[in-house]
Formats: sequence, C-alpha cells, structure tokens
Amino acid sequence: MAWLGFVNGQHKGITTWLALMGKACLLMLSLLLASCSGTLNTGKALCGPNGALRVGLIDPREGLDASSQQPFANQDIENFQTMLAQASQCEVRLEPLRSTDRARERLADQEWDVAFLPPGLTAFALQQSAGYSPLRVLSVNQTSRASILVLASSRFQRLADLNGARIGLLRRGSLTGFYLPLYNLHGLSLNQVTFALNYTALLNMLKDGKVDAIAWDNSQAPASVPVRSLTTDTHKIPMGALVLSGALAKANYLPFLKSLDDSSGQMPAWLGYAATILPNQQELQPLKAIVESVESWEMPLDKQPHRVFGRKVGV
Amino acid sequence: MKITGLKMFLGGDGSRPLRKQLSLTLAVVFTGSILVVILLLDQLFGWQAKDLINQRSVFFMDTMLAVRQYTSKQVNPVIAPLNEGGGAFRPEAVPSYSATTVFEYLRGSKPEYKEYSYREATLNPTNLKDKSDTFESEVIASFRSSPAQKVITGERNTPLGSYHFVARPIKVTSQSCLVCHSTPDRAPRSQILAYGDSNGFGWKIDEIVGAQIVSVPQNTVFRAKRESLLATVLLLAAVFSAVALVANSILNRLILQPMRLISKKAEEASVTPSTVSFTEKNRADEIGQLAKSFERMKQSLAISMQMLKDRQKP
Ligand code: HEC
Repeated sequence: MAWLGFVNGQHKGITTWLALMGKACLLMLSLLLASCSGTLNTGKALCGPNGALRVGLIDPREGLDASSQQPFANQDIENFQTMLAQASQCEVRLEPLRSTDRARERLADQEWDVAFLPPGLTAFALQQSAGYSPLRVLSVNQTSRASILVLASSRFQRLADLNGARIGLLRRGSLTGFYLPLYNLHGLSLNQVTFALNYTALLNMLKDGKVDAIAWDNSQAPASVPVRSLTTDTHKIPMGALVLSGALAKANYLPFLKSLDDSSGQMPAWLGYAATILPNQQELQPLKAIVESVESWEMPLDKQPHRVFGRKVGV
Repeated sequence: MKITGLKMFLGGDGSRPLRKQLSLTLAVVFTGSILVVILLLDQLFGWQAKDLINQRSVFFMDTMLAVRQYTSKQVNPVIAPLNEGGGAFRPEAVPSYSATTVFEYLRGSKPEYKEYSYREATLNPTNLKDKSDTFESEVIASFRSSPAQKVITGERNTPLGSYHFVARPIKVTSQSCLVCHSTPDRAPRSQILAYGDSNGFGWKIDEIVGAQIVSVPQNTVFRAKRESLLATVLLLAAVFSAVALVANSILNRLILQPMRLISKKAEEASVTPSTVSFTEKNRADEIGQLAKSFERMKQSLAISMQMLKDRQKP
C-alpha cells in the first residue's frame, strides 16, 4: 500500500512537472509567434492623429440656462463614451461643451476628430478652412427663429435705429444668439456688445437697462417682460450634424459609422442621432454662406464698441 | 521505471556513439533549463515591466505638477490681464490646461510614450471633458476618505481591454486656485463666457478635488515583458549552442581521437605485436592508463607468441 502511495505521489509530481513544462512551452511559442507577427491588430480602429479619438459634443439646445440643461447627465455621457469607444475601437476623449465659442475654436484648430454639432457650428465646421465633412443628421425638433428684441417701451422702432445702441448677444458660435443677429445688424455701429451665457441672462440685462436690444430665439418660452421684436430672421434653419475631420474622412470610417447606426437606439435621445440619414448639403448652403460672412468680419469683443462691417453675401 | 529510463537516456546506455549521446544529453538538459528559466523570468520580467511603467508614470505626474506650478507662478500673471479684456479666454494661463497640453506633446515625442494617457479627472470640473467617470470617482473618493494615501495603482477593465493605471490626488493647495474655482463672480469674465458658470466652482482650500491618472494598456506591459523574455531566451539559446559545440570538440580531441588511434594500434597488435608501440602510455591521464594496459597486454601477447613459436621448433 505504502508503495502504491509512493508511486502515486511520484506520478503527481511528474504531472505537475509536465504541466509546468507545457506552460513554459506555450510561453515560448507565444514569444516566437509574437515576434514573428510584429504589431498586431487595429485594421478597423478609427483613431485621431495622436492615438486617441477626440470627440466634441455640443449641447444641441443653445442658450438655455444651466438649470434646464439636462443633457450632460453623468451616466448618459459615460455610456455614450463607451459606445463611441466600441464603435471606433480606439481610446475616446469626449469633450462635452456648452460653450459654442470654445467649440468654434476647437473646430477652427481641428482639435476634434469627430463632433456632434448644432446647425450653426455645423455650418462653421463645413467651411473650407475647418475642413470637416457631415456624415449624419442630428434631428432635433427645430422651431428656432432668430429675432432682435427691445423693451416694449423702448424708443427704438426699426433695426436702423440701433446705430450707437448697446446690444446683448450669446457667445460667439451661437446661431440664433450670434451669427444670425449679427448678420441682420450688418452696417450698424454698436456702442457696446455684451455677451451672456443664455437667453435668461440676456433678458435680465435688457430688463435692467444694461443693454438696449438683445438677440432672442422665438422658440424660447415667451419673455417675462413686455418686449417688442425689431426683426425676425426668415432663414430656414437646417439640422445639426455629426461631422468628421478632413484627416479621418480619408480613413475607413464606415465600420465606425455602421456601429453608431446600429447602436443609435442607445444614444441619448436629446442628441437626435438619425441613423443612415446623410445631411443635405444643399440645405446647409445658405447658413454656410451666412456663417462664412460673419466669420470673415472682425469679431466683436465683450463690452467693447463694435462696427458690424464687412462683405455680406446675400442669401 | 520512467525515471531509470530517463537516466539511461540522458546518461547513455551504450546504444549510440558518444558524440551523439553527448549532443542528445546536452540538448535535453539545455532545453529543460531554458524552459525553467522562461517560467521564472516570466514572473520576474512581469514585475519589472510593471515597475518600470509605474516609475515612468510617477515621473510624468511629477513633471506635470512642475508644469502646473510654472504656469501658476510665471505664466498666469502675464496672461491674466489679457483675460480681463473682452476677447476670448486664453486657457494658457490655466495650470491644468498647460499640463494636459504638455502631456500631448510628450506623447507625440516618442513612440513608447504614445500609449500613455494622462487625465486630471475631477468630481466637479470646469471642463466637462475632465469629469470623472464612475471608476475614477471611486478612486477620488478613496483619496478623499484617506488623505494619507498618496498613490493608487491597479487594473481597470474597459471595452477596449484592460488598462494599468497609477493615480495621485489633486489637492487645492493655494489661494490662487480659488480665483477661478470658488465662485463665478470671482472668476475672470472671459472664463465664465468660455466655460459657463454651472460647474468647476465651489472648491475649497485643501480639498481633494480630483486625481491625476496615468494609464497604459496592459498589452504594453505584456509586450515589454515578452520582449525582455525573448531577448533572454535567444541569448541563452545562443550561449548553450556554443557550449554544446565546444563540449563536442573537446570530447573529440580529448577522448575520441586518442581512443580511435589506440583502438587501431590494438588491432594491429593482435597480428604483429612487436611492430606496434602504444606511445600514449607516457600520458598522465586515463588515456595513458589505457595505453599502458594495452602495452602490457601487447607484451604478454608477444611473450606468449614467442613461447608458442619456441615450442613449435623441433
Ligand atoms: C485662470 C484661472 C484658473 C486658475 C488660477 C486655476 N485654474 Fe484650474 N482650471 C481653470 C480652467 C479654465 C480649467 C479648464 C481647463 C481646460 O479647458 O482644460 C481648469 C481646470 C482645472 C482642473 C481640471 C479639471 C477641470 O476643472 O476641468 C484642475 C484639477 C484644476 N483646474 C485645478 C486647479 C488648481 C489646483 C489650481 C491652483 C494651483 C488652479 N486650478 C488654478 C481655471 C483656473
């Protein structure tokens, strides 16, 4: 019996020994394989020039005050980032922004590889100098109309009366709060331009007499004070878009796009991602011309006088 | 049974020429030792690779701290007045901005840095790109609950694979930070216009608001380990092959050649013993002994043959 036990013990020793050697052989094999195959993987990954995929995400509803800005809820953003990483097979640097101004700079410097943009910034991104191309429509329910408001009691009757007035705008890059109002104010010399974060703040400035006129979006809840509109812009506002940088548009982005389309059900609803729908460049054309005009003028500075002056393309 | 079989196999059972036997034995022994070495070094190099990455990560974070300090002390005073004007906010004055920007340049400077990524994950960030996700929030929470803790390292699983990370707390150490991070009305107006007034405020002095996190794909750790391992194994194989060659030629010169000679002479001696001389008998080694024995055998053979001849003479 004891003899049997001894043999058993020896057997066990041998089996573990063999297992260890097996492991070593496997390691050896993996070493050789790895050294032969060199760098593996990533035919399908869509990455930015510096390794990671830099993604810009702009709140599609411009000019709302922070209390009504739900979109960037934590979990939403985290899930969205994971989805983008899975679609691109690349590390994702997601930059959610409420500031159209910073978004504008980011796009101008081509610091995003992919961006989800509202209409105004889409038009900005499609300019020659930024070089982005639109891939998908972001169809947010669009009832925006840009107008310019004064207090009902104001002495200003027509747009031309605003010469020498103080005016409140949203930040650079906003469509109804910046591009369209400036476009409509073309030719005027303003005494002062003041920027605000949202329409509520603009309205308060108007109420407090800090400015004479403000930019306004008619899709906002009606103003809480008696106001009058001097002009309402009639341009049709197209949809926002998912855009891709010029560099990435040359890469194979179709798997990425397909994966996004497939998981569009899990995207935040407020984004309005419309799977498989290509943006209509024709519809974007007038807005692009407006944005290009305004961008070619001198930019107004906060709390400074400003002459709205430059070549204006009529659309 | 098996063990004795192995012993016979390695030690030689006389079934093959010595040279072949030696080569075989050496091959088995060397392969065995290489496999054992692989097993041990696999562990060792794993630790080493991780250690190197940790050291490098900590170094990066120290560098980023220095960049932050430089920005606070020297750049901010120059840029801050610009941000009071009506133009766009210049983020160059922001310590966090310069650190992350410098890191991007660092990343681009060498291929082996490209896999490192640096984040200043923050619970309530100014720039929402720095918002800590669930995992990072837990890391920050553990820094906040035990302020003595200076570094946390570990693994993190993501849909893209597993990452190794090193994290350190970010503490609001100076009053100067609070200009931009306490209340919106203290911050430069251009910053408010650029980043909004709803996040990145309400920080307190000495509060841990976030963490510096350097992460590297686990694959990089494995690859570094594999490369060291492969180099070592190739080196060992080369050394062992050289040893085997040398051993073989020594065997040849020391034993096989003299033995072949002696065996040829012995053959001759069996016919005409008197003409053969085992000259190797002067050697002091085992070959000499063998030659002496043969010499004695030859002499007795010669004597016996002589006696036989004498008896045959009538
Ligand atoms: C000039 C104003 C200013 C000063 C002074 C300043 N910060 Fe910031 N800080 C910012 C801005 C703006 C950002 C966002 C930068 C970006 O876009 O990445 C930021 C970002 C950060 C971040 C990254 C997380 C986030 O909020 O986006 C940390 C951490 C941070 N700051 C800590 C500090 C500390 C600690 C100090 C003091 C040494 C300090 N800051 C001083 C303005 C400032």
